[in-house]
Amino acid sequence: MKLNNKSNRIQVGILMSPALLIFAIFTIIPIIRLFFMSFHEWNLSSMFEQSFIGIKNYKVVFKDNFFWTSFTNTIVYAIVTVPLQMLLGLIVAILIDGIKKMSVTFRILNYLPVITSWVIASLVFKYIFNTEGLLNYFISNILNIGNNNIHWLDNRWSGLWVIMFLGTWKGIGWNMVVFFAALQQVPKELYEASSLDGCKTIRTFFSITLPSIKPTILFAWVMLTIGAFNVYTSVKLMTNGAPAHKTETLLTWMYYKAFSTGEFGYSAALSFVMAFSLALIAVFQFKIISKKEN
Amino acid sequence: MKNKKLLSFLMIIMIASLSLTAQGSKDVSSNTDEIEINFWHHYSGESAENKTLTNVLIPEFEKENPNIKINAVSHEWSELHDKILISSSSKNLPDVARCDIAWLPEFQAMDILVPLDTEMSDFNTVSSSLLDSAMSTAFINNHYYGLALNTNSKIMYYNTQMLKDAGVVVPTTMNEWEKAVKKISGKNSKGQKIWGWNEPGLSAWNICPFIWSYGGAITNEEQTKASGYINSPESIKAVETFVSLYKEGALTGFNSGDIPMTDGFGTNRYAMMLEGPWKMAELKGAYPDLDYGTALIPAGDGGAISVLGGEDIAMFKGPHQDAAWKFMKFMTGEFAEEEMAKCGQLPVNKKALETDTVKNSDFAPYIEAIKTAKARPTVASSSKIDNELMVAMHEVLSGEKTVKEAMDDLAIKIDALL
Amino acid sequence: MIRSKKSLFIRYFFLILFSVVALFPMIYMISTSLKPNGALYEFPPKFFPNLDEITLNNYRYILGESRFIKNFLNSIYVSSLSVFIAAITSTALAFVLGQFKNRFTNMVFALLIVTMVIPGTTLIVPQFELAVWMNLINKLTALIPFYTVWVIPFSTFMIKGFMESIPKDIIDSAEIDGASIFKVFVNIAVPLASPGIASVTIFNFLSSWEEFPWANTVINDSNIRTLPIAITGFFGQHQFTQWGYVFALSMLSLLPILIIFISFQKFFISGLVAGGVKG
Repeated sequence: MKLNNKSNRIQVGILMSPALLIFAIFTIIPIIRLFFMSFHEWNLSSMFEQSFIGIKNYKVVFKDNFFWTSFTNTIVYAIVTVPLQMLLGLIVAILIDGIKKMSVTFRILNYLPVITSWVIASLVFKYIFNTEGLLNYFISNILNIGNNNIHWLDNRWSGLWVIMFLGTWKGIGWNMVVFFAALQQVPKELYEASSLDGCKTIRTFFSITLPSIKPTILFAWVMLTIGAFNVYTSVKLMTNGAPAHKTETLLTWMYYKAFSTGEFGYSAALSFVMAFSLALIAVFQFKIISKKEN
Repeated sequence: MKNKKLLSFLMIIMIASLSLTAQGSKDVSSNTDEIEINFWHHYSGESAENKTLTNVLIPEFEKENPNIKINAVSHEWSELHDKILISSSSKNLPDVARCDIAWLPEFQAMDILVPLDTEMSDFNTVSSSLLDSAMSTAFINNHYYGLALNTNSKIMYYNTQMLKDAGVVVPTTMNEWEKAVKKISGKNSKGQKIWGWNEPGLSAWNICPFIWSYGGAITNEEQTKASGYINSPESIKAVETFVSLYKEGALTGFNSGDIPMTDGFGTNRYAMMLEGPWKMAELKGAYPDLDYGTALIPAGDGGAISVLGGEDIAMFKGPHQDAAWKFMKFMTGEFAEEEMAKCGQLPVNKKALETDTVKNSDFAPYIEAIKTAKARPTVASSSKIDNELMVAMHEVLSGEKTVKEAMDDLAIKIDALL
Repeated sequence: MIRSKKSLFIRYFFLILFSVVALFPMIYMISTSLKPNGALYEFPPKFFPNLDEITLNNYRYILGESRFIKNFLNSIYVSSLSVFIAAITSTALAFVLGQFKNRFTNMVFALLIVTMVIPGTTLIVPQFELAVWMNLINKLTALIPFYTVWVIPFSTFMIKGFMESIPKDIIDSAEIDGASIFKVFVNIAVPLASPGIASVTIFNFLSSWEEFPWANTVINDSNIRTLPIAITGFFGQHQFTQWGYVFALSMLSLLPILIIFISFQKFFISGLVAGGVKG
């Protein structure tokens, strides 16, 4: 269709404007405001009159040990959970792709964690992993490994391990669905040709299946990385950063600085550091995507 | 078609919910003569205090003052502090709030509180009806920024059966306490781990009673210096005892994975704890059959010193100061204080203290504890000091630093905050 | 392809294993919600409650004494209104972006995609300020524009894929017949993209239904809490967690999502994927 007359242009404008208006007010303006805040002294004592302080907030962020802890935790979370849930999701998708009976049932069952809310999932995991909980009972009283209960939620790495386990558990279903659909779209002739050639299953997988679903893999990779940086609720409800802020992630630390200590300038600068890191990663990912597609 | 079915399903849900909530969301304050006062508090949602507030006190106040409507909002304790901060950044504060006495200096520094002694003509009359010691918590930089609402402290709760099983008598000195905590800890008959002591946090509220009772201090009297106080030999000894009990598995409660305090005490996993007067009502509700007793905190070289808690009711700068003041006077008045005393809130109103309700209550040990209890640092940076203390305690507990190192570093950090 | 019996067996074995892991926490939640509160931290912990121990008291309490119904309606109201607005506005935008490609629409699309990179919660501070400025604090309505705007980029991105795949001849012939752009949008584009719109809508409903940080920040009053913050409100007051209540309430709040998901799962999953794979 062409925008060759005024009436058409007006109609297109009317169709676009509601979404763009909402988007401008509730996303673009806050982004600009956040940018402005990040260059101002903005904390409890200067709540009502802020002064421009250049990049001082950014300097404070980079000098803060707690920032680096939360940054490392977030990166580790992304590096562990993203590939893991993709791999497991792909495995489930391949398993389901090869069966006829109950395919729908298994898809529903494996998708249930995705629709369970983060709040509920975090609370259930907290209950299972608490020091006197079911898991420790299983380990020390049924498997008889060690006498002392493991303090899952009370150390930095074991706490993060539980948080990452929850993230992976909750993400497998989404990956399964995406990869299952991609597998369905691989032309069957390709498989038939290869089985005539006498290819083994594993070789078929690497030479035919994997290349065919590459766009989907990259799509999932980008989406999940963004999702990994968004981790908040599970940390907030399971450890709330404890012990001594060692399990904070970027978002929980940003929230703590803003809303518990009132350092709004710091948290604004932190938000931009975080968005910038994620943008860098995304550019890198898109580069790989476009290279592979050419 | 399936799509149509889905869309119509969603439409039905939406229309139904719209019509159902339409009634609720109607603007109730459309009556222009009526003033609405927003009152934020941290009486927990399902507690007896909250029921008294919404079913007894507010209806009574609204009957006396027909043109004022009270909109009471319940928050969790730590959330209330954060939400006041959030709201202040955008000048959208409640008219009145029940604030922990430790928060007032911070809010005063932010210039969001109303100095009552200069703004309210009858302030002196009201203030003289309340206990002086309690009112002193609202006195900051030569002005009063709140009215004392209730006071409290912590006393020791012990599980009678667990003490008997371990062959331990109720400890009265810190030495006995340390031994008792160790002796009780271990495994119960079912093979579950049990602890002699529960401490649900590592902030000043939790650690100060030990430091004080061992003869240490957080800062000097003038609250200008922590070096030489928080790292004094007495303070270090208190922290060392605490840490060694934790390492021996005799004390726990502040970890994310631990059994919550009330549940653990109610199910015979924690033998002793220091807690406030609200715990009696909670235990009665959740674990009515539990056999427990109370006593003062054990005495150390510094005496038996508990921590002074309590709440002030404060007014934030806003348009309805006269109505807000009326509500504050009502809440600190004899009637409201006596009603709240029935649910475990220790009154500060002198007349309410003389009533039979209060005289016949189980408050006796608390009134005793308050006589010697001390207040936490009353400075604007008290939340930050709390955070530094918590971090320092974790550094010791995880073995990153020795007690001496951690307290020396902490002293420098607190000095900078004062 | 012909599969051997052995390989089929292995497939089913692993599928059952994965399903058990997926279901385990939820079953434990249901089982705990059926236990009396005194049985918590019991020893030995039981995965299933004893038959004589099973009680509906937790559910009775949640349905009777707490504000469950109120919170439930709040959640329905906020979620359905936000997904409804999001569906209409993003479909219209996606139609324009998919059918009228020029420098401006490409730029708009790029802007939408770039903001997807910024995690929604990072904007919570300025968005909170905005909400205060609009006098939306502690009001249920405050949630709606924000839930809407968070899903607009992704929804537009997904629906645009459907809009682009509309055969050109259909639109051309409608244009020759003299149909206006509005008519083409309503009569041709929306029906053809409806699988995409509907699946995106369910997806958005889910994310609004479970949203926690924003609701927890702007809503104070217990009467206008949505379900996620009602659940956490039960959790940890005075060092006191009534797990039975927490899990009964969780179960009840999960129920509508389960019903919607199971009724529409086929269609939901296929729709989600059709757009996703194209992207």
